[in-house]
Amino acid sequence: MFQFPTRLVGAAVALTLAAATPIFAQQLELKLMAPAAPGGGWDQTARSMQQALVAAGVARSVQVTNVPGAGGSIGIAQFVNGAKGDGNQLMVNGFVMVGALAMNKSPVTLEQVTPIARLTEEIQVIVVPANSPIKTAQDLAAAVKADIAKVTFAGGSAGGVDHVMAALFAGAVGADAKKINYIPFSGGGESLAAILGGKVTAGISGLSEYEGQIKSGKLRAIGVTSEKRIPGSDIPTFKEQGIDLVIANWRSVVAPPGITPEQRKTLSDAVEKMVKSDAWKEILKQKGWEDAYLGGDAFADFLKKETVRVTDVLKSVGLVKS
Amino acid sequence: MMDTFAALAHGMAVAVEPMNLLYALIGVFLGTAVGVLPGIGPALTVALLLPVTYKLDPGGSLIMFAGIYYGGMYGGSTTAILINTPGESASMATALEGNKMAKAGRGGPALATSAIGSFVAGTIATIGLAFLAPWLVDFAVRFGPEDYFALMCVAFVTVSATFGDSPIRGLTSLFIGLTLGLIGIDKLTGQARLAFGVPELLDGVEVTTLAVGLFAVGEALYVASRRHHTEEKLEPVRGSLWMTKEDWKRSWKPWLRGTMFGFPIGALPAGGAEIPTFLSYSAEKRLTKHPEEFGKGAIEGVAGPEAANNASAAGTLVPLLTLGLPTSATAAMMLAGFQQYGLNPGPLLFAERPDLVWGLIASLFIANAMLLVLNLPLVGLWVRLLAIPQPWLYAGILVFATMGTIAAKPSVVELSMLAGFGVLGFLMRRFDFPIAPVVVGLILGPIAESQLRRALAISLGDPMTLVQSPISATLLGIALVALLAPFVLKGMGRFKASED
Amino acid sequence: MTSGDPVQPPRRVDRAGIVIAVLLAVIAVVLVWDARGLQSTAMYGMGPEAMPVLVASGLALLAVGNFVDALRGNLPARESADPVPVVLILIGLALLIGVIGFGGGFILATSALFVTTSAAFGRRAILVDCAIALVMSTLIYLAFDRLLTLSLPSGPLERLL
Repeated sequence: MFQFPTRLVGAAVALTLAAATPIFAQQLELKLMAPAAPGGGWDQTARSMQQALVAAGVARSVQVTNVPGAGGSIGIAQFVNGAKGDGNQLMVNGFVMVGALAMNKSPVTLEQVTPIARLTEEIQVIVVPANSPIKTAQDLAAAVKADIAKVTFAGGSAGGVDHVMAALFAGAVGADAKKINYIPFSGGGESLAAILGGKVTAGISGLSEYEGQIKSGKLRAIGVTSEKRIPGSDIPTFKEQGIDLVIANWRSVVAPPGITPEQRKTLSDAVEKMVKSDAWKEILKQKGWEDAYLGGDAFADFLKKETVRVTDVLKSVGLVKS
Repeated sequence: MMDTFAALAHGMAVAVEPMNLLYALIGVFLGTAVGVLPGIGPALTVALLLPVTYKLDPGGSLIMFAGIYYGGMYGGSTTAILINTPGESASMATALEGNKMAKAGRGGPALATSAIGSFVAGTIATIGLAFLAPWLVDFAVRFGPEDYFALMCVAFVTVSATFGDSPIRGLTSLFIGLTLGLIGIDKLTGQARLAFGVPELLDGVEVTTLAVGLFAVGEALYVASRRHHTEEKLEPVRGSLWMTKEDWKRSWKPWLRGTMFGFPIGALPAGGAEIPTFLSYSAEKRLTKHPEEFGKGAIEGVAGPEAANNASAAGTLVPLLTLGLPTSATAAMMLAGFQQYGLNPGPLLFAERPDLVWGLIASLFIANAMLLVLNLPLVGLWVRLLAIPQPWLYAGILVFATMGTIAAKPSVVELSMLAGFGVLGFLMRRFDFPIAPVVVGLILGPIAESQLRRALAISLGDPMTLVQSPISATLLGIALVALLAPFVLKGMGRFKASED
Repeated sequence: MTSGDPVQPPRRVDRAGIVIAVLLAVIAVVLVWDARGLQSTAMYGMGPEAMPVLVASGLALLAVGNFVDALRGNLPARESADPVPVVLILIGLALLIGVIGFGGGFILATSALFVTTSAAFGRRAILVDCAIALVMSTLIYLAFDRLLTLSLPSGPLERLL
């Protein structure tokens, strides 16, 4: 008999219970848009929120809709135009949308939506194959400075968080970010194969995606992008290695434009209550997501700053025409 | 080695418990029900039905999950054969001969060979997964962009098997497909090509939208336009409903060959299921003893690609389980599913949790067998669908064909594209251009382009990189031989003919 | 394509074939025109404009090939086609798109397509077909939207359910 960990059985039971309507449900009936196809990160976030909102007794029902396309450009356009002033709608979004909107010259921007809260974030990592002569972030910096064209970075789609990070790394070590040799792959799987096969110098991705490879010793992590060292981890941050590179792949939730301050407060309170619920914590643990709750004006501020930073980087690598 | 057997036997013992068998049956049924919708492939089927499995105990849900997966895959083939509507890109090759067979009253054998072929290929590939995974994965990560590009060249050359009689017309179709493949955001620089400011075009043309439009909608228009010529009478069953001895004899080798194409290519991180199905189709077309039947419903043309399709699905589990590499949308969904059950694929999985791995493999095996149990008795029922009077049959096909798109991407632009491709399919049929190369171009063009550009970016623009890798040099050599061989053989054939 | 058999009398020029050749040439021009607007931001290797230009060259060659074929009348013979059913089905598709675009919902949209298609194939019992279509699409809607939680577009009819 293959045994499943009891903790997971517990989780499965919790999820089953979550599906039933709790007694304390308020009258909120929310519509939650995932501006991506079923299965991806935003969709999983939306469906997890759906579970947690209902389980925490914050909402009576949550309906998830998928509007896929162009890094969320299509979803946000529909959200801004179709849900204006509707205090019962929310949309999941994240770092990738900032770049996608700038690159696709979207007529709709993130300034138009009403920020609610940042929910999760994932720390980024740079890895090299185990047999690479590069041991530390400074080694990589030296290689980049010596001949930037020869240092190939493998990562996700053009203009996404991995690409932005490659450019930021080059900038932080004093090289010309425009000249980076960044090779986009579709999905983490394909780029991982290229790194393991030694086809590229270094790989960039979310930490969790490469964690297994790092632990098994097939990949060497030369730095993570968190502000401080991750507790219990022996991977140094870029900051401790003297390179100012702090970035995270965050996901957040926003409301439509034109809602009243009361509506905004109701939604913000609902999300805050959900974040503090046990159901949400259980989901975070299960999916390996990092809690990065940031609500209210602090989040609005963060969103603004991040938009400026990303757009600048994309301009510097020529992906967005200035 | 003995440990492997013991572990597998252990997993099996769990999977055949009556409750688990029931879960497998429910999973296969649900998977087939959603998977038959054109445009909803196995990935989306699994994504949509994953929540259903939450409610079970983990062992049962893993088995139901495997059932959904196999059901979703088989559903696409059923529609390809019966109504010429490939539910996903990997069952396109199946539609080419399968639907011709169905129209000739041999839908029963076509469905049967596809179900049994899937089972045979799935079984062999699962055994391959159990014993060869560590070795195969070492080979797979050695494949660089230049090698993939060379593999694409092999695929492009063999595609000519789908061209029909005139090379000019076949190439014209292929280039229309390549053009469609250019639409959307360029993966390497993020710039939009041929999108003309329409945001919905930024993600490019969906393969299933094109395939459903060209195959199903195009065919309905074409048949309607010719109604005054011949009242096309479909006979659901002519001859045997079941596979005859002859059918078995003609099927078993294609099953094995399809497996040989599907499993290794599926194990490549960027291999996919489409290339092995095309390779298998063209191999069967070249090797068959009944070349006159190809294009009219040759059973080899169904048996081979279906086996290849299923074997490649098992192949994708190699990088997924050993490296934690999800190499396709379906694999990514499976990863999400596994994580739900506390199974974290990666290099340590085989060492740390052999019980889970073997439980999973046993589940896949049981689900595959259950698929056979559920579908073979249904074959008779399925083919009788073709006895529905023509107006309702085609009206139903169109409703069904559009429904997949409505469910997956309910936008006016997407539906208009579906209708547009339907008109294109109608015109191409009317003016005698082959349909399949368009879809092939759309699938292979973008992959070939990105891999070539990646290879050149890594080599800083030096084209010699394409022949410096031994894998790519070999593959390019094969492509060259395959390109020239028909001309040489033709010459020899003429020589022979003049001797007779 | 060099089978200039002198014994065979020259066949009639195929006008449809000429139109196809011209269309292919037009697509080639559009490709090149579109590619000119792309910036080669890729620092290394091939830019995004190389592939469109390559495809355009291929299309241009094929346009010439198809043109020659058409002039020679080398195209396969075509049977006459009846435009009425084709137009009917296209109207059905247009109705489907329109109804979904204006929020009429899944049931109405697919019913419209079903009825027009079945009329295109010669059915004249419109009312009977309407009834069949409504029942069928309602059942499909219930099965997939409610039971299998596939989200299908909802309109006035769906909200009644």
